[in-house]
Amino acid sequence: MEKLVELRDVYKIYGEGLESEVRALDGVSLQIDRGEFVAVVGQSGSGKSTMMNVLGCLDIPTRGDYFLEGTDVRDLTDKELSRIRNKEIGFIFQQYNLIQTLTVLENVELPLIYQGIHADERRDMALDALERVGLLGRIKHKPTEMSGGQQQRVAIARAIATKPPIIMADEPTGALDSRTGHEVLEFLQQLNREGTTVILITHDNGIAATARRCVRLTDGKIVEDKEQEVDWF
Amino acid sequence: MNIRQAFKMAWKSIWGKKGRSILTMLGIIIGIASVMTIVSAIAGYADKMMEQFEAMGTNRISLSAYSYVYIEDENGNWVNTGKDYFPDIYAYCNSMSDLVVGVTPQAYFSATMIYGTKNTNTMQQNFYYDENGNPVGDRPPSFYYGSDQYSACSNLVITQGRDLTQLDVKNYNQVMVLGSEAAKTFFGTANPIGKIVQLNSLNFEVVGVYDSRMKEESSMMGSIDNFVVVPYTTRRVLGGDNISDFIVVARNLEDMDEIVSRLDGFMKGLLDRNTSDYNVQPESQGLDYMNETLGMVGGVLAGVAAISLMVGGIGIMNIMLVTVTERTREIGIRRAIGAQRSSIVTQFLIEAAMLCGIGGLIGMALGTGGCLLLGNLLFQMTIYPSAPVTAGAFGLSVLLGVIFGCYPALKASKLQPVEALRAE
Repeated sequence: MEKLVELRDVYKIYGEGLESEVRALDGVSLQIDRGEFVAVVGQSGSGKSTMMNVLGCLDIPTRGDYFLEGTDVRDLTDKELSRIRNKEIGFIFQQYNLIQTLTVLENVELPLIYQGIHADERRDMALDALERVGLLGRIKHKPTEMSGGQQQRVAIARAIATKPPIIMADEPTGALDSRTGHEVLEFLQQLNREGTTVILITHDNGIAATARRCVRLTDGKIVEDKEQEVDWF
Repeated sequence: MNIRQAFKMAWKSIWGKKGRSILTMLGIIIGIASVMTIVSAIAGYADKMMEQFEAMGTNRISLSAYSYVYIEDENGNWVNTGKDYFPDIYAYCNSMSDLVVGVTPQAYFSATMIYGTKNTNTMQQNFYYDENGNPVGDRPPSFYYGSDQYSACSNLVITQGRDLTQLDVKNYNQVMVLGSEAAKTFFGTANPIGKIVQLNSLNFEVVGVYDSRMKEESSMMGSIDNFVVVPYTTRRVLGGDNISDFIVVARNLEDMDEIVSRLDGFMKGLLDRNTSDYNVQPESQGLDYMNETLGMVGGVLAGVAAISLMVGGIGIMNIMLVTVTERTREIGIRRAIGAQRSSIVTQFLIEAAMLCGIGGLIGMALGTGGCLLLGNLLFQMTIYPSAPVTAGAFGLSVLLGVIFGCYPALKASKLQPVEALRAE
């Protein structure tokens, strides 16, 4: 399999050298191949969100190397990092992170705007993404006028609008009821079957069980990394 | 991200918070309105003054020749020893007619002029301004002593009858030519030519009427066409001091210095330096002085208005900083889905510039109103703001937006995506 992301002995330390220093990532090495569905599981404070921020180029590790498609991310400029977040990675957050003042369609169009795609084409791409999540009927609504499940679907549409090779989902079902959460997970499975690499961050072992590979973090260290049978809850 | 999108985003953000946007703009609105009002009103006033100067003719050189020794005559009156220098000056000026258009005394005199029921004394008593500053009643004309070249020196053209002639001057003829306003005041629509009027109880015949020089009437100054000219030699019967001020008009502006220096030499030879003195200078110097004074007054007032603009700009910066803090999470989201630092800077900068620009437009509308109002109240004139002032005001407000938007915009762009996302 083709290597997609690789962490080599990565540390993220807050307040290094102080008595109160926190090692959010404590020498993590991890390799994820193209097309994998990986769950990163751990308790709150285990460093899993920090790991996603590092993997998603939202945060810079204190030490260690991060290669994304063979490129050392530490050498990249802000402009290049922005381009990676825009084109290579689709983010799904627990709190949806939609912009409240924009409509559903405008939210989904936003990453395409930053790509500089022409208005007509952009609209078509956004509508395609919204159709996939079944929200074509609500494109003029504001996020505040929608349920949590619908908002998360808008966020998914925004993540897939640019057709990125990687989807990173940080507790995507955390704020949803179990049925809606199930739909979201199924959708991620579907994306994975189509070839998208999915990295799912969760504290819930049940949700982690839906992934073929499970990486367990405790106190910033990987304590388990196993292939598993997919288990639907 | 292209600029059009950035403008759309900025507009959404401003429109989404209308109340706050208006309050934020208030400083800019007031600042731009006051700068525009002051600058336009002063510029407009100076332009009107200039127009009047130009209507009377440019290229004017003022020449004064006066005696400072007075003697007591046989009746015990003190009179100055100066003689009538005009014939000499007239002859000299006409000897260089390639450079000079003409020369005339510049002398105002007061007189009572009566024709039928029209009487300058009653005019003087009955003329007043109403509460809106508009003149009511007939305004009495001004009286001037002139030579036959008075019209040439004052940019005047005869429409009816004839002009003053050299013979009128030479023979002390009791004739007069009227400015168009004076003709209207005394004769209305009737033909004034050949009519006999009383000037200080002496009979004068109206021989001509000059065409109007003003495009529109200015009620404050009165019309520059409201005057009566008589041959200066009639001073013999009408009275008054020796005429000591003269106007020489050059054919070309470039010849002014040459003429001034020639007249200087001529006057040196003509006058006795023990009893008399003289002064020659281009009349535009007076205009320059007026412009300088107006410029100074305008500068001080505009400075005060500029301070209010400054304060307005700081208000904008303040609100933009609040906006950045409030929208930290939004900035984080935008960064997470691929916005570059420069996109964030552009977004906030355009928002600030647009806020100021809109404020500027509103301020310009108010400033135009203020300019009309001020022009009317202070100068009784209709003064419109000039295009450069209007364009300048708009440019200035947008510039303020960019200047005061820079710091908040840079601050917004410096946030780390992960920190910005954590904000509530």
